[in-house]
Amino acid sequence: MKKKLEKIYMGIILLFMYLPILTMIVLSFNESKSRSKWGGFTLKWYLNLASDSDVINAVANTLIIAIISTLIATIIGTVTCVAMVGLNKKTRAVIMGMTNIPMINADIVTGISLMLLFRVLHFNTGFITVLIAHITFNIPYVMLSVMPRMKTISPSVYEAALDLGAEPFFAFRKTILPDLIPAILSGAMMAFTMSLDDFIITYFTKGSGFDTLSTKIYNEVKRGIQPEIYALSTIIFLAVIILIMARRGLRARSMQAAGKKNVSYAKKSSKGRNFAILFAVIITCIFVGLSFGGVFRTKENQVYVYNWGEYIDPDVVKQFQKETGIEVVYDAFESNEIMYAKVASDNAAYDVICPSDYMIARLIKENMLQELNKEKIPNAYANIDPNYMKTAASFDEGNKYTVPNFCGTVGILYNKKLVKEPVESWDILWDKKYKGQILMQDSVRDAFMVALAKNGYSINSTNPDELKVAAKDLLNQKPLVQAYVVDQVRDKMIGGEAALGVIYSGEALYTQRENKDLAYVVPKEGSNVWLDGWCITKNARHVENAHKWIDFLCREDIALKNFEYVTYTTPNLKAQQMIEDESIKNSKVAFPDEDTLSRCNTYLYLGSKADEMYNRLWKEVKSGE
Amino acid sequence: MFKKSKASVALASPYLAWCLIFILVPLGMIFFYGLTDKTGAFTLSNVIAITEKNNLKSLILALILAFISTVVCFLLAYPLGMILAKNKVNSKGIITTLFILPMWMNFLLRTLAWMTLLENKGVINGLLTLLHLPNINVINTPLAIVIGMVYNFLPFMILPIYNSLARIDDNVINAARDLGANSFQTFFRITLPLTLPGIISGVTMVFIPALTTFAISTMMGGSKILLIGNVIEQEFTLTYDWNMGSGLSLILMIFIIINMVVSAVSDQKEDRK
Repeated sequence: MKKKLEKIYMGIILLFMYLPILTMIVLSFNESKSRSKWGGFTLKWYLNLASDSDVINAVANTLIIAIISTLIATIIGTVTCVAMVGLNKKTRAVIMGMTNIPMINADIVTGISLMLLFRVLHFNTGFITVLIAHITFNIPYVMLSVMPRMKTISPSVYEAALDLGAEPFFAFRKTILPDLIPAILSGAMMAFTMSLDDFIITYFTKGSGFDTLSTKIYNEVKRGIQPEIYALSTIIFLAVIILIMARRGLRARSMQAAGKKNVSYAKKSSKGRNFAILFAVIITCIFVGLSFGGVFRTKENQVYVYNWGEYIDPDVVKQFQKETGIEVVYDAFESNEIMYAKVASDNAAYDVICPSDYMIARLIKENMLQELNKEKIPNAYANIDPNYMKTAASFDEGNKYTVPNFCGTVGILYNKKLVKEPVESWDILWDKKYKGQILMQDSVRDAFMVALAKNGYSINSTNPDELKVAAKDLLNQKPLVQAYVVDQVRDKMIGGEAALGVIYSGEALYTQRENKDLAYVVPKEGSNVWLDGWCITKNARHVENAHKWIDFLCREDIALKNFEYVTYTTPNLKAQQMIEDESIKNSKVAFPDEDTLSRCNTYLYLGSKADEMYNRLWKEVKSGE
Repeated sequence: MFKKSKASVALASPYLAWCLIFILVPLGMIFFYGLTDKTGAFTLSNVIAITEKNNLKSLILALILAFISTVVCFLLAYPLGMILAKNKVNSKGIITTLFILPMWMNFLLRTLAWMTLLENKGVINGLLTLLHLPNINVINTPLAIVIGMVYNFLPFMILPIYNSLARIDDNVINAARDLGANSFQTFFRITLPLTLPGIISGVTMVFIPALTTFAISTMMGGSKILLIGNVIEQEFTLTYDWNMGSGLSLILMIFIIINMVVSAVSDQKEDRK
């Protein structure tokens, strides 16, 4: 009876642990993108995954970082443990104390502390900083595994070897190392596991354009879960199982072998060579890995682009690389504020960025951008609608710093099947009927814009009383909100996860292609009309290529291609004229009429005082109930 | 090598240098940023900021959720550890491996799996609808975050508890039984105290990551729930206020130090025995 209970208990916990993984495996073969419906068997997600070079790169990075950091950490850790025996007690205590710090400290603190160091020292490369961070938190795992074993080893055999005339290193290798090997291996294994699994420390120490699997998945999840990730999980799970089986098999075999033959000190010749080979392999591994990571390569012909998420046709990037031979290192941000924090902390991280109007004004004011060389971007001046140039001049006097990329409005995207009444006002986002069905923008200005416009205030209000009213409204709305998201709105609205979402106009046309029930409206109280533009950062490392990038995107055929993919309003006049699809050409969403635009305003940069107030109130909303 | 020699110092010096540059200096920088304002003048306001309503709320919520997760992990792991330690079949470790195998899956994938299950239109609700049962609404609530924490950190509790249970000499238990202790007494007076170091290390390995996470709360909480980890992360990636972020990190370090002291004290007790 008791045995049975025990088995049931173990079964329940195993179920708890493996059911989620099994679900992912099943979903990786699901034809339908929906998580709750089975659409038939398919392998297409695996095929998609195989052609996704970003994911493959991320996996390669993860493995390289894990292997090299484990090897280096194992060497440093073991050497230190051996040396410790010869040190006095006080020094030993100091070393062990320091070793304990990364073990006990929270990952977030370790990550932040290293980030501060790298930022202050102006370290750039993503690979090397992540590697250093991983070595730092890996050494303790090796030491804490090797140290206890080292303490139990009696020095007498080693000393005897010395007395018999052995060189110290030879004596060490013959007498001490064999006893340490199991402890070294288990420490290395632990370090390897931790390195593979790490997210938080990598997140803070990775630079621009570098991702490990963890950070890649985190970004992907923010965009909405794609079935390719399930395929990836399945592959990783299988790889883990195979590795563990292989390890068990190896261990069983070596145990058998050990039982048969008595391994003795006598078999020295082959052992010595083995050791040399092992050492050579380790060194080669480290060098190959480092060069894969790009440490020895000076990659000059690159351009680092920092753009909004879901804001470019991937083919356009490919075409740019093909035509110019310039490698594009591409990262995406979710909001102007996230972009600002990144660029402010490391101005040289990216060459070309695409902020919105008010943020461009701020960057110009804080001297973080450089003036564009107009001769190098002829397409921009030939093709962009002069009216948009005029708009851009309102926040960038003389059009010195930016070239318009896309513009649009903010409005409500709703599902006609779930919302039967006409949607005209922001008030519907406060309607209790739609509890748990509303998606709000996870960005300060957009969230406050909704509440300010609802109350009839200016969307650029700096009046503390008005902002407090807005914050209170947002707090009241919070129980009705399903989630605060940015790029996920697209995925969730298509999937019918929510009825109403605050979203930018371009997403409307895009989502309507996938789900015909969706409609977009700019509420009657008015909204925000925005203009994003390409800018080059002050300390950009590839200024020449950055200009090429901007010029390329302003070419009419490229602008058209890009427009047809992202469906935001293009300020590129020639591209507009080339649109063939009448329904898009006449779409009020893509090209809003005067009436809609007259209700909308641009955001202004409100100064650091007002920014702080917005941020504080937004935090109150986010942490409130 | 075993004598106090210059060679030992030379061999240990690379690591000492590494510690200095990549552990101590960075920590010093957190203190520096945390205790100064934007102009570089000394201030305590970044640390005192924890008493602000929003920050305090996120800290308290993080403490509560981390505490619940730790307790749940403990309650799940201890009986499991006992069963595993008792099972002689387990000497080969197959079953134990089964319980820590998910640890080798990527941490974010594990969390993602639960998002998939709990979503409004997720797998569980899909099944419930199929069976004509009312749907559950768990995603984006504190409960979802707790589930995410327990799922991710459970192996870290199982491993040390199992190890310390497996190390108990059967004879100790038998002796207690021979001396007339019932199973209840044996458990509370012998087994539990003997596994205390394992429990403490398990609790540390669950509580600290749970207290300081921001990924689980972002993914399972839909950005609706801010834990102290989220607040700190956003100071760096959103508000761009390194001073405030560092100041709040110093608060986290207080909890870490408390944890260190507790385990050090129990270690000492262990040594005295």
